[in-house]
Amino acid sequence: MKASILYLYYDFMNLYGDNGNVRIMEKRLRDQGFDVEVIRKTITDDDISFEGFDLIYCGSGTESRLFAAAEHLKAFEDGFKSAVAAGTPVLFTGNAWGMLGRSITSHDGKKTGGLGLFGFDVREEIKQRFTGDAVESAKGFDKQFIGFINKCDVIDGFDGYMFKVEKTIGQIPYAQDGVRKDNLFGISLIGPVLVKNPFFAEYLVRLIDERHGVTYREERYEHEEKGYRMTLKALTE
Amino acid sequence: MFFTILICKILRFLGGLLGRGSSWPGKIALKLFPDILSYLKYPDTVIAVTGSNGKTSTVEMIAHVLKEGGLKVAYNKEGSNQTEGVTTFLLNDATLGGRIKSDAVLLESDERYMRRSFRFFHPRYLIITNLYRDQMTRNGHPEWIYDIIERGIHDDMTLVLNADDPLVSKFGAGREGTLYFGADHLDCDTSVNDSIYDDGKYCPICKKPMEYEYYHYNHIGKYRCTSCGFARPDTRWSLTGTDLENGNITINGKYKIPLTFNGIYHCYNTLAAFAAADLAGISKEKAAEALGGYILKSGRIVDFTLDKCEGRLLLSKHENSISYDRSIDVVVKDPAKVNVMFIVDAISRKYFTSDSSWLWDIDFEKLNTGNIGKIILAGKYCNDLAVRFEAAGIPAGKTEIFETVMEASLYAGNLTDYLYVITCFSDKEKILSLVKRKELS
Repeated sequence: MKASILYLYYDFMNLYGDNGNVRIMEKRLRDQGFDVEVIRKTITDDDISFEGFDLIYCGSGTESRLFAAAEHLKAFEDGFKSAVAAGTPVLFTGNAWGMLGRSITSHDGKKTGGLGLFGFDVREEIKQRFTGDAVESAKGFDKQFIGFINKCDVIDGFDGYMFKVEKTIGQIPYAQDGVRKDNLFGISLIGPVLVKNPFFAEYLVRLIDERHGVTYREERYEHEEKGYRMTLKALTE
Repeated sequence: MFFTILICKILRFLGGLLGRGSSWPGKIALKLFPDILSYLKYPDTVIAVTGSNGKTSTVEMIAHVLKEGGLKVAYNKEGSNQTEGVTTFLLNDATLGGRIKSDAVLLESDERYMRRSFRFFHPRYLIITNLYRDQMTRNGHPEWIYDIIERGIHDDMTLVLNADDPLVSKFGAGREGTLYFGADHLDCDTSVNDSIYDDGKYCPICKKPMEYEYYHYNHIGKYRCTSCGFARPDTRWSLTGTDLENGNITINGKYKIPLTFNGIYHCYNTLAAFAAADLAGISKEKAAEALGGYILKSGRIVDFTLDKCEGRLLLSKHENSISYDRSIDVVVKDPAKVNVMFIVDAISRKYFTSDSSWLWDIDFEKLNTGNIGKIILAGKYCNDLAVRFEAAGIPAGKTEIFETVMEASLYAGNLTDYLYVITCFSDKEKILSLVKRKELS
């Protein structure tokens, strides 16, 4: 039984230890009995196919890299949209989900098109950066998402968010965050989001199991669970 | 101006008696006279040092060399490197008429705040040591910091740049008169970068792939863009040899300097100090002599005894993977069997943050070597460390996990092999309060 992860821009959009998400999913899927294969694609590749993957992941990048990645990914728009429409689990973290909207405008006024899956436009600031811890909630999840936001995006006039920002510590102006379409998730939290939020990793694993017609095998991830409880307590006290 | 300088000097004196920090006299002076730094009369030699790592050590070494060369030097030795701290030490060194009394001014400049100070006066030389992923919870990322530093650079400043760091050398692209320091091909170089990430893989200018002839460490090395022609520039001051085993380096093929600390980062700091001394008019022979065997007062190494074991603290920086990578290098290169303790208890002294993403940028995988005995993970973030070490392929039986430094120390003190402790300023006292310090030799 084989599971395949497509790690998009693995060496280009990996600014905040985002590789941890792929590594933790590899482990969790192995624990479910899968032989796991990770296919890495990047900015120099001109042959990206999205077919047949169990998870597609993309992490954070600098603003200039996000812009370059968005321009590059646009060439593969149809294949990506087909994968999303087919229900493939997809996760874009940090500023990466900015590529899923209509456009990105850089701080110096350059504009590029996004994948157009959502009706938002991203505008990047240069004078201020929004950094801080966040606690978020979402329909369908009984646990809160925790983590850190580190970006300079502003999105105006969009009402299709997935997450409600319940609490922030630091300079975060967002009341809502992220998007969802079928099994595609975009969230602004950076780094190893799936390590910090073990229930979300489990959710994605169950989804992948289900798509393979496999029953979820219960596993304990003691350190992730303890870390989650400690961090949630510290952020909400 | 007279009044403000006088007030600042009095507050500085009172602050010394009361044990208060070095920033507040400058803060009050700036409230009284916001652009007072514009009105001071500076000596010819004003050198600022900025960058992610090595600022404090480099400034301390430059100060030492210049003093040995007979110059009177003013610098922010307390390390308060924001505008208020800079104001305090400058006004403290000034006459009541506003003339800086010292022959040379050295500034350790915070990357984010230097442009504020440089609105009022410009250093003659700006040394940039490196730009790494560092404290990204406040710094964003290296390109973000690059843009901030760039806004503080003025035409009348001469840049002195680390040629081996592509993002740093980008500051000199198309800028005449820029000077560079860097390392030639060294015995310890590698042909591949096997770190967790590679910030030199793509050109900082055009984002196309870069090629490296060799790497000194991480993305520091000799690079060339395959597309736009951006490449490592030639250097005026070059590390032409390193004998890290015997602890000495050679600069420009001629000046041999014995080192007390033999990490590659210390070689770069020493080279930058040598360059600064040369620019300040100190003879190269004198600079090499003064730097030889110099023991840093801001030393990042502490030797100690903990119950049954001897050990060494390698002070690293949380939220700075390269700093950790370099410390791990020291540990894995030790020919003896050793234990190592990682303490992540407070990422910041000022606030709690959930952000432990930087742990996933550190090359803990390197610890999968024969000389490593026990790996002790300690502090509030021990669970984050444990997950990361598991992903690094470290066998579970090798790690011991403790939520407090006290528990970890009790365990470690009963082991007899040599113990390395790797942690940050924010956590160092938690271990140093439990050990008996030894003099560095």
